[in-house]
Amino acid sequence: MSHSPALTDERPASIQLPKRRTSPAKRKQRLAAYLFLLPFFVVFLTMLVVPLVYSLYLSLFESKLIGGEVFAGLANYARALTDSAFLGSLGRVGLFFIIQVPIMLGLALFLALALDSTRARGSKAVRLLIFTPYAVPAVVATLMWGYLYGEDFGPIAQVARAVGLGTPEFLSAQNILGSMMNIVTWEFVGYNMIIMYAALRSIPAELYEAAEIDGAGQFRLAWSIKIPAIRPAIMLTVIFSIIGSFQLFAEPSLLNAIAPAAISNSFTPNYYGYNIAFINQELNYAAAIAFLLGLVIAIVSYFVQLAGERRERVGAADRETQP
Amino acid sequence: MTTTDTRLLVTAGDGTATPRRNRRRYTPEGRRSLLLTVLLWLLVLYFVLPLWWLFVSSTKSNSALFSTFGMWFGGDFSLWENLQTLFTVRDGIFLRWMLNTLVYSVTAALGATLLATMAGYAFAKYDFPGKKILFSATLGAVMIPLTALALPTYLLFSQAGLTDTPWAIIIPSLVSPFGVYLMRVYAADAIPDGLIEAGRVDGAGEFRIFWQVGLRLLGPGLVTVFLFSLVATWNNYFLPLVMLNSSELYPITVGLAQLQSAASQGGGAQALFSTVITGSFVSILPLVIAFLFLQRYWQSGLASGGVKG
Amino acid sequence: MNKKARRTAVALVTGAVSIGVLLTGCTPSSGDNASQEAVTQDDIDTAMTTPTKLTFWTWVPDIENEVKLFEEKYPDIDVTVENVGQGLPHYQKLRSAIEAGEGAPDVTQIEYQYIPSFVLNDSLLDLTPYGADDLSGDYVDWAWNQVSPDDPVWAIPQDVGPMGNLYREDILASAGITEAPATWDDYAAAAKTVKDSTGSYISNLGATQAGQMIGFFWQAGVKPFAYDGKETVSVNVNSDEAKKVATYWTELIQQDLISTDVDFADQWYQGLASGKYAGWLTAAWGPIFLQGTAEGTTGLWRAAPLPQWNAGDNVSGNWGGSSDAVLASSENKIAAYELAKFINNDEESAMRLATEQFLFPPQVSVLEDPAFVDQESAFYGGQKVNSLFADISQTVDTDFQWLPYMDYVYSTYEDTIGTVITDKGDIAAALDTWQDQLVSYAEDQGFTVE
Repeated sequence: MSHSPALTDERPASIQLPKRRTSPAKRKQRLAAYLFLLPFFVVFLTMLVVPLVYSLYLSLFESKLIGGEVFAGLANYARALTDSAFLGSLGRVGLFFIIQVPIMLGLALFLALALDSTRARGSKAVRLLIFTPYAVPAVVATLMWGYLYGEDFGPIAQVARAVGLGTPEFLSAQNILGSMMNIVTWEFVGYNMIIMYAALRSIPAELYEAAEIDGAGQFRLAWSIKIPAIRPAIMLTVIFSIIGSFQLFAEPSLLNAIAPAAISNSFTPNYYGYNIAFINQELNYAAAIAFLLGLVIAIVSYFVQLAGERRERVGAADRETQP
Repeated sequence: MTTTDTRLLVTAGDGTATPRRNRRRYTPEGRRSLLLTVLLWLLVLYFVLPLWWLFVSSTKSNSALFSTFGMWFGGDFSLWENLQTLFTVRDGIFLRWMLNTLVYSVTAALGATLLATMAGYAFAKYDFPGKKILFSATLGAVMIPLTALALPTYLLFSQAGLTDTPWAIIIPSLVSPFGVYLMRVYAADAIPDGLIEAGRVDGAGEFRIFWQVGLRLLGPGLVTVFLFSLVATWNNYFLPLVMLNSSELYPITVGLAQLQSAASQGGGAQALFSTVITGSFVSILPLVIAFLFLQRYWQSGLASGGVKG
Repeated sequence: MNKKARRTAVALVTGAVSIGVLLTGCTPSSGDNASQEAVTQDDIDTAMTTPTKLTFWTWVPDIENEVKLFEEKYPDIDVTVENVGQGLPHYQKLRSAIEAGEGAPDVTQIEYQYIPSFVLNDSLLDLTPYGADDLSGDYVDWAWNQVSPDDPVWAIPQDVGPMGNLYREDILASAGITEAPATWDDYAAAAKTVKDSTGSYISNLGATQAGQMIGFFWQAGVKPFAYDGKETVSVNVNSDEAKKVATYWTELIQQDLISTDVDFADQWYQGLASGKYAGWLTAAWGPIFLQGTAEGTTGLWRAAPLPQWNAGDNVSGNWGGSSDAVLASSENKIAAYELAKFINNDEESAMRLATEQFLFPPQVSVLEDPAFVDQESAFYGGQKVNSLFADISQTVDTDFQWLPYMDYVYSTYEDTIGTVITDKGDIAAALDTWQDQLVSYAEDQGFTVE
């Protein structure tokens, strides 16, 4: 799962004492703060930073089965930028992001709004049932959908044939990306819905009062009050989804077992990196690929956030100019 | 300080009916929309039918699995036989995998929650040099692709002689940048500065304040971080795949994948697809149940993280 | 504070770098143990009576039974059997452990085609000083050549997969075919008859199954790979002979006479059980495997040799099988060798592997033992299937080699040939693409390509 860079902008600390020379009490508090942070950052350093630095170091070398390891500078990076397999995999997850994420988040938002409106019966059950797939490991989800997609014995094909639609080829090379989008959507709509729903439940009642007086309908209420109010939560899910799509690994690697011809070794950047490291035995090149991927994710996240902020600003300006 | 007051009420445990909601009179309970209800329940089908299939299939024998309609029971009702096979295959190793998963994920989740809570609390309630950069580093860590870390981490662990031990799964899972973020947001709202100041005036140390005042107010936030770390470790496939060699140490994900590949490649025996499917079904039950029972905690915990995000 | 932070950072980086140095510097130091002195019986006796712990990586189910026999004979040796995965994951773990210099087993199962990739980085122990030379006569020649292409012996053969033809007698009979096709031309003709009159495919060609295709190459006398054990390889997957095989299959596939489902997947299992395929061109491990998969068709199957390219010939190829090797990093080399040898050479152990785990034996003694070859199989209408495959085993070309990077060979097979087979394209043309990729990889990796 899981972590959010949505918030790189700092919010002011709760205790903002006026700046002056550090008093002994203040120093004691600082020490306490560092001690609180220490355990986390010890693990953070050893489990993330050290391997990362090591990996960066590795990416600057070139190793061959014959001849061993030599310093190569940025050669691996240059190679990656002209590697059509790597660029193709980036394009594929880019496409995945552009198509799947709006569908998934749109569905999640719709569900969250529908549940928040309390207009549907059994909404508590609906909420939990839709969330359930999140508790299913990707391994199990992929295995299960693999059976469901089966051409001869999958229930979807059985139904499709029964109603005369022929046999859908979910696992063909043309359709496998779409089939994968479906699996990821199935897994994560509930999770995103819960985040948005939780945000909706926390909207201060004051925000609704004006609308109440207006007698605004549900759609207007959703569009002009609810969605703007939970924009940060939506942005959070978008950032999660960028990371999730660009780092796709479990789904292609497990689907490869049932559709080996449809999933190429460079299907997604992460899967490509894994194959380069473990099959081609080009660990150094794999490290460079991983770094470039991280860079792409950071850049995409940054621009998406930027776009989100600009829209928020424009939106706020619009509202102000309205009478 | 109104937000803090409400937050305290939220923390008291009822996330689904906060006082604010009581004032939303514009949606009288009676105005249900039939269309919306139907639409929602149709969508529920999409999410539930695959799981229904999983359940139905776990009641089928290997041959019925491929000869009957997938969405309904067919052939003999073989659930008990399947369970029996599942729990006796390779001397009952499946139960061992379940227990491993439980031990790894609970330990890792407890540790991750504690570390994240302390760090989040420090970020929320203290001012100190380097705060901004440390927090940005924490959040930036999310961008790192897992393949960048898998092999270096493996090499580091094997230098320390920790591969093929439970620690190889637990220690890396202790890092939860999202948990730190969530706890920071949560602590900022849930713990009034006044309480901390009062504690200091009373002469309590910073750690006593944290343990006695802070932790108590962070309840739902703790449950949320705990549950999400639990899921992350429970569902992890890649890390144990790389780190572990002994079948007795496998968590359920790697075990199932191995069972599946043994089933498909035969390995001299017959294909055990029904066993794999039954295993998959059994393996998701504990988490689903945990989420059902703890829902009111994690939902309210998420509420604050979500809205402030 | 700042200075301290910088020092920490420097320490971290140096730490990481020193690991890197360790990594590159840790090539196992047993590269030239061929010149090592032979081990004496005294050494062996001492080693086998010293309390020792061995780790054995294998995915053979229930091999614990044979290991138990070993432990009974040598009570001081304690063997831990670990199954770290089957096929590719197994080798990935093995490589990671070797690279890390920590956690590798003493003895490992290894398929024949992967031996060169572990010889390449000196990871395997040459077993000649331990007396492995003496065993050469105990195994069929071609299997021994797989573990010992030159002087060194890298592993002890465990099982093999000489290829034959399993077919549904009833389906072929209902199409008017009463005997298994003797030549590939007959097979193509039969494929048409069977498809036209019964709707079944005569067999399935696994779209991404490199092992099966390479087995066909092997039978056709194609020598796609060669490796001198050092730095020179030769790649020849697009030779004329290879293209002849490829074109043969392309035509059958394009006429829809052969299906191309991914093998060892649920759909394929059902195809075998339901009669969608009237046969399976497989290896000697296939008969028992099929028996467990298609229980409902007991008595309907028969076994025959592969169809031949030239009438009157009698040649076959191999698909699968594996051996047990000792890693050069093992600290208990003698005991490890004795384990690898015992499992696959002890009379009782080898016999049990063949009759209880159903591994098809490379041991001459088992292949000649009436208890093995005279078994009649009800699934095959009482046919003596073991006897047939024992005969086929004598017809496998003895001189077939592999490349020291078969992981890459197989994974590019999926992407180049596998996709073309799925799309019913020209396999022969795809061989050229495959050839190019294999050659350019070899060159990038510093091999001399001949």
